[in-house]
Amino acid sequence: MKDNKNEISISVKNLHISYKGLKKFSIKKSLLHRKTSKLETFEAIRGISFDVPKGKIVGIIGKNGSGKSTLLRAIAGIFSPDKGTIDLHGNSVSLLSIGVGFQNRLTGYENIYLAGMLLGFTEEEIKLKEKEIIKFADLGDFIYKPVKTYSSGMYSKLAFAITAILETDIMLIDEVLSVGDAAFKIKSYNKMKELIMDENRTVVIVSHVSATLRELCDEVIWMHEGKIKKQGKPDEILDEYNEFMKSKVKS
Amino acid sequence: MKRFFENVKKYYKYAVYSAKAELKSEVANSYLNWVWWLLDPICFMLIYTFIVEIVFKTSEPYFPVFVFIGLTTWTFFKQMISGSVKLVSSNRSIVTKVYIPKYILLLSKSFKYLFKMMISFSLVIVLMLIFNVPFTIQILWFIPILIVLYVVSFGLGSILIHFGIYVEDLFNVVNIVLKLMFYLSGIFYNIRTRVPAPYNGILLRVNPAAFIMDEFRKILIDGKMPSLAGLSFWLFVGIILTMIGVKIIHKYENSYAKVI
Repeated sequence: MKDNKNEISISVKNLHISYKGLKKFSIKKSLLHRKTSKLETFEAIRGISFDVPKGKIVGIIGKNGSGKSTLLRAIAGIFSPDKGTIDLHGNSVSLLSIGVGFQNRLTGYENIYLAGMLLGFTEEEIKLKEKEIIKFADLGDFIYKPVKTYSSGMYSKLAFAITAILETDIMLIDEVLSVGDAAFKIKSYNKMKELIMDENRTVVIVSHVSATLRELCDEVIWMHEGKIKKQGKPDEILDEYNEFMKSKVKS
Repeated sequence: MKRFFENVKKYYKYAVYSAKAELKSEVANSYLNWVWWLLDPICFMLIYTFIVEIVFKTSEPYFPVFVFIGLTTWTFFKQMISGSVKLVSSNRSIVTKVYIPKYILLLSKSFKYLFKMMISFSLVIVLMLIFNVPFTIQILWFIPILIVLYVVSFGLGSILIHFGIYVEDLFNVVNIVLKLMFYLSGIFYNIRTRVPAPYNGILLRVNPAAFIMDEFRKILIDGKMPSLAGLSFWLFVGIILTMIGVKIIHKYENSYAKVI
């Protein structure tokens, strides 16, 4: 483990997030049916608290719809919590899920700059790292073609390269390590490990691949229906989780 | 409002870069490249000149210049308004992946439209030379009028960003309103002389596009002073609209990603 264990870089306290009262309405429909539509409330996250110390890698598992992605998006600042707080202690954060917010009509090269600037880097800082990103993404001439011409694998290669090379303090990774071809998988896996060795980097990974989590993480959080079911050492939690999922298949 | 200026300062470079890149990609992806930026308004000017001068046999002094100023102003106004309604959902891929103050998207779009408008206005100058329109010192009022146009469009746009997300068919409504406004703005006729007495004044007062268009024509074609009272009134309205829009966006923007 790392020495600066005591410094906390993400603290989440009693977090609640619900999708409520946000139903779209249309003028046509409300003229035709005068009934007001019922507001549907769906609580995706119901009271979660945890801390992530600086430099640690935390994995999150749970079945589909258990609120994992919502949690990551909340930490990234895309949603604000309905209740509770998320404190990043002033660290910069990037969310890596399939595609980091590319503008489809623009080229990969331009998107490196745009994505970088949105992550809070200046044009000059990106310029310094530009070559490294292009090399890591390994897209050949496609880097100068519009992103809409990319395959989904190329898309995530570029996305991963941008976040991995630009080095934000906190990286949130949503199921991307399983994309790309075999060569890129090994490369990104190694890069991940290298990032993990960096003691200033905090990483939160959401994944369904137990092997990845077992090898990379210091700690695993098991989410179930918007709550933390269990939290602890990767091996323990993952074994228990796999048992749980198997028992579900049988019943 | 302080947060608005801080954000603008912080994301200004992003907006400029994004606008530049979009302009570049537009050029790269079309056959006649940037020639379209010139061709498009020129063709419409020819169409309106044909309809008004040959079909309806009426005219205004320096008619092609007159129409061109109208079209240029209108195009900017229309793009800002109709672009805002679907702004967040058309930038879905960004909005759901990273935090960005939503009016920055509008800012970036506005830079793109401003650039195109400037090309169009330089054509106005060329046309003025061709048709021997006398240049006067009043042309200096161009910048203040432009600022008023920008602020009013930005203010209306920033409010529409918010409602465009929650009201599914707002786009259709806005399109119809814009069509109506198009005919009531006097793009190819002079509101002051062609519309009967009480209505022309009202129209120029309530329709910002008509008013601003008229001011541009006053300074460029007639060589007259613009209406300072009118300009300051619309500047004030524009600032108020922007403040309301920004306030609404700050309050609700975190829920946008959940809805789209």
